[in-house]
Amino acid sequence: MSDAHAYPHEPTGVETRKLGFWVFLSTEILFFGTLITTFLIFKGRDFPGIKLTDVYDIPFTSVSSFVLLMSSLTMVLAHNALETNDQEKTRVWLLATAMLGAVFLAGQIYEFTEFYHKGFELSTNIFSSTFYVLTGFHGLHVFIGVVLLLALWGIGQRQKGLSLNEGMNLEFIALYWHFVDIVWIVLFTVVYLI
Amino acid sequence: MTKIIEPKKQRNIFSRPSSEEGVWSWITTVDHKRIGIMYGYAAFFFLLVGGLEALLLRIQLSQPDNNFLSAAEYNAMFTMHGTTMIFLAIMPISAAFFNYLLPLQIGARDVAFPRLNALSFWIFIAGGLFLYSTFLFGTAGAPEGGYLAEEVSRLASAPNGGWFGYQPNAGLKYSPGTAMDYWAIGLQILGIASLVSAFNFITTILNMRTKGMRLMRMPVFTWMTFAVSFLLAFSLPIIAIALFFVTFDRQFGTTFFLTEGGGDPVLWQHLFWLFGHPEVYILILPAFGIVSEVLPTFSRKPLFGYPAIVFAGFGIAFIGFGVWAHHMFASAISPVAQAGFGLSTMIIAVPTGVKIFNWLGTIWGGRLTLNTPMLFALGFIGMFVIGGLSGVTHSVVPADTQQTDTYYIVAHFHYVLFGGALFGIFSGLYFWFPKVWGRMYNETMGKIHFWLMIIGFNLTFGPMHWLGLQGQVRRTWVYAEETNLGFWNLIVTIGAFILAIATLVFMANWIYSRRKGEVAPFDPWDARTIEWSIPSPTPVWNFSNAPEVKSLDDFWHQKYGEDEDGRAVRREGTDELLLQLEEEGLNPKEEIHLPSPSYFPVIMAFGLPFLGYAIIYKSIPLALIGVIMLLIGGFGWGTEPLEEEFESSEEEPESGESKNYE
Amino acid sequence: MSETHKEHPSPTKYVQIAIVLAILTAIEVALYYTEDIVGALAPPLLIILAVGKFVIVVGWFMHLRYENSLVNKFFAGGMILALILFAIVMIERAVGNFF
Repeated sequence: MSDAHAYPHEPTGVETRKLGFWVFLSTEILFFGTLITTFLIFKGRDFPGIKLTDVYDIPFTSVSSFVLLMSSLTMVLAHNALETNDQEKTRVWLLATAMLGAVFLAGQIYEFTEFYHKGFELSTNIFSSTFYVLTGFHGLHVFIGVVLLLALWGIGQRQKGLSLNEGMNLEFIALYWHFVDIVWIVLFTVVYLI
Repeated sequence: MTKIIEPKKQRNIFSRPSSEEGVWSWITTVDHKRIGIMYGYAAFFFLLVGGLEALLLRIQLSQPDNNFLSAAEYNAMFTMHGTTMIFLAIMPISAAFFNYLLPLQIGARDVAFPRLNALSFWIFIAGGLFLYSTFLFGTAGAPEGGYLAEEVSRLASAPNGGWFGYQPNAGLKYSPGTAMDYWAIGLQILGIASLVSAFNFITTILNMRTKGMRLMRMPVFTWMTFAVSFLLAFSLPIIAIALFFVTFDRQFGTTFFLTEGGGDPVLWQHLFWLFGHPEVYILILPAFGIVSEVLPTFSRKPLFGYPAIVFAGFGIAFIGFGVWAHHMFASAISPVAQAGFGLSTMIIAVPTGVKIFNWLGTIWGGRLTLNTPMLFALGFIGMFVIGGLSGVTHSVVPADTQQTDTYYIVAHFHYVLFGGALFGIFSGLYFWFPKVWGRMYNETMGKIHFWLMIIGFNLTFGPMHWLGLQGQVRRTWVYAEETNLGFWNLIVTIGAFILAIATLVFMANWIYSRRKGEVAPFDPWDARTIEWSIPSPTPVWNFSNAPEVKSLDDFWHQKYGEDEDGRAVRREGTDELLLQLEEEGLNPKEEIHLPSPSYFPVIMAFGLPFLGYAIIYKSIPLALIGVIMLLIGGFGWGTEPLEEEFESSEEEPESGESKNYE
Repeated sequence: MSETHKEHPSPTKYVQIAIVLAILTAIEVALYYTEDIVGALAPPLLIILAVGKFVIVVGWFMHLRYENSLVNKFFAGGMILALILFAIVMIERAVGNFF
């Protein structure tokens, strides 16, 4: 608020928008928690039919997981570059993050089509339904993240570049992006490896 | 008045809305007070609709073997009654209180994110309209060979699977047609509204408090808002995903909750009640907060045991997450789970009891003023104790299995949610009436309202206890003559009509007093909290200067000191102080910058129903409209500053870091 | 940015962290392929590794360890609540039929 001099605020010492954003991330845990719970409950069920283990391709998914993991690195480098006010580097790393995210998404689309052709369709059975809804919900998050990153990159291209305190804030998009990454860390283990 | 400066015009997708009066000023407003008032009116409208649905139900049940409603219509009516009252009436009325009062009670100029606030209001409206559009477009077919097959009227073309949407009954096989899809997606949209407002209120309470407003100096109502916001933030995601599953089951042929595909109907119950039980506290805690403000004011005593009441509130909120399975004692859950949840249900009665005793301790020995808000607050305590006690009986599992799905349960939760939540809300509506409108309500009509309501309420829901224990089953549209349930059912119906008359009295009072009521004096109740230290109706800018709070009940301590016996004594010069406060409140010295109105929240909010229709009717164009509205809204929002830059008459110091964006 | 803000790490540090993350991922995949040898130890090890990666990303990349404790409490609160609630649901759904 521009009347900050008259009006004290932020008695907690955390910037208001950042606080709100962390509360949002905390609730996201519950979203994914519900999905993972459902997935695990059904994973333990004895039900006839095709299972994820019949169709999946661990080397492929490992590579795409690695790609997403590395996008967290490029994201944090973009953030770091902006903190030192290096506009050009910020844009480069932002674009790199968006591209890595897009590669991950492409991998997911490829994976889904492969599974589909092997007869593992959305409504085949509970194993396929939970798999698609869980990983699809995550994929939607990645997609939104890529759109936000590209928008941010576009804004950075214009006029005076990006700033840490204004507008579509790089910091929040970074937080969001890392969050999407940690969700995948959990999903990769829970869905594929165990 | 002219201190508010005209903003400079700036181009965006649309130029800034500029009207200060008329319809557009309300649609584009980001002022928490206006949003609160709109929440209140919209929610009250839905309360009337839900009440009408209840009256139809009661006419049908007024005598045995009645034919007023068909079975299909009855199913639609009780589903819509429950859904409306919970999601479209009580929750948003509480949100109206949060919106209007929260910034005033913590001495802030607005909530932390004013445009998000407008967004959650408009999403609520969009969701409500979407849900009710089922009466126009929805279809509720009949399951194959079901007894509903005869006719399906418009009245029955509404969701009919109960507000709890139990699976597989609410699945496609037993609830064909689109009505239950309207229900699932409608609740999804409403959930987004509440979730957004929860982020907003949590952040507001933590970060927008004025000087000296430490956490333990906050009014209890603010504390309860805080607790409710946490409940919302952590319980709504669960139901959102569960509704997501339902939509997938119905639209895309998955079998999350259907046994034929390996799914699990009991999982739906878990997920639903994991949300559904915290929801109960979401409905009741705001009323706790309101009553905790009203009782001390009219007892002229500080609230007895303020820390206890605050911690009990959070205790309830926390334990409230651990009792959900007591709704499922009659379902297939293990005896160990039944025992555990029975215990936790008993335990949650403890913090609730603590609060009751705090309120009684507050009234004890006080100088009571028995005006309308106080009467409603006292009525609240009485009715809520009855509802609470019948609630504890559900923790005894064998008794609960007997009572499940009978009118005993209906009696219980209406004593809690009507006798509790709604009485609390009425108390608050009367209490803050002068604050909002600057006029007094009519005391006589208020008292008539109260007495009609408490008589009608007990006539309506009291007999349901024994009807239930005699075995009358919920959600059944007829009962046979031989059951001998006719007499008490007739009494219940008469009670329901008395409630309707009471509501009409309330509305008449409201409409009359808003225009013709006496002008409210400054601080009409000799109140305790700082929202009364500013003029009524509240000026657009709330506080002319950021108040500095030195203690709990700060406004009271400005007015009163203590003599050697600890009695409250009005300080000398208090009258002058009040005059001075009024003068200052109306004439701010500094220039005040308020957040500017915006079109984008409305645009975003009304994109969501289009996405909903797109899912139901598998329509790409509708989906595109929805996405485009969201994109326009989102982009416009992201690039539009919260406040316009001002052409200031004086030189404004360059503020280094502006925090104009959300 | 508040005064309590500790210095964020340097880019070199970030790259080092990313290398650690990559190695942990490699171990995970290796564990998957050697499940026959590792046996029943594999699932708990995998969970520990995932938790490790989770903590590293949250702590360093999301700067949670440099944040105000209030933010930490929110995030931890959400995590703990989710873990408890969902553990109960899972146990009830998985073993309920046997009691």
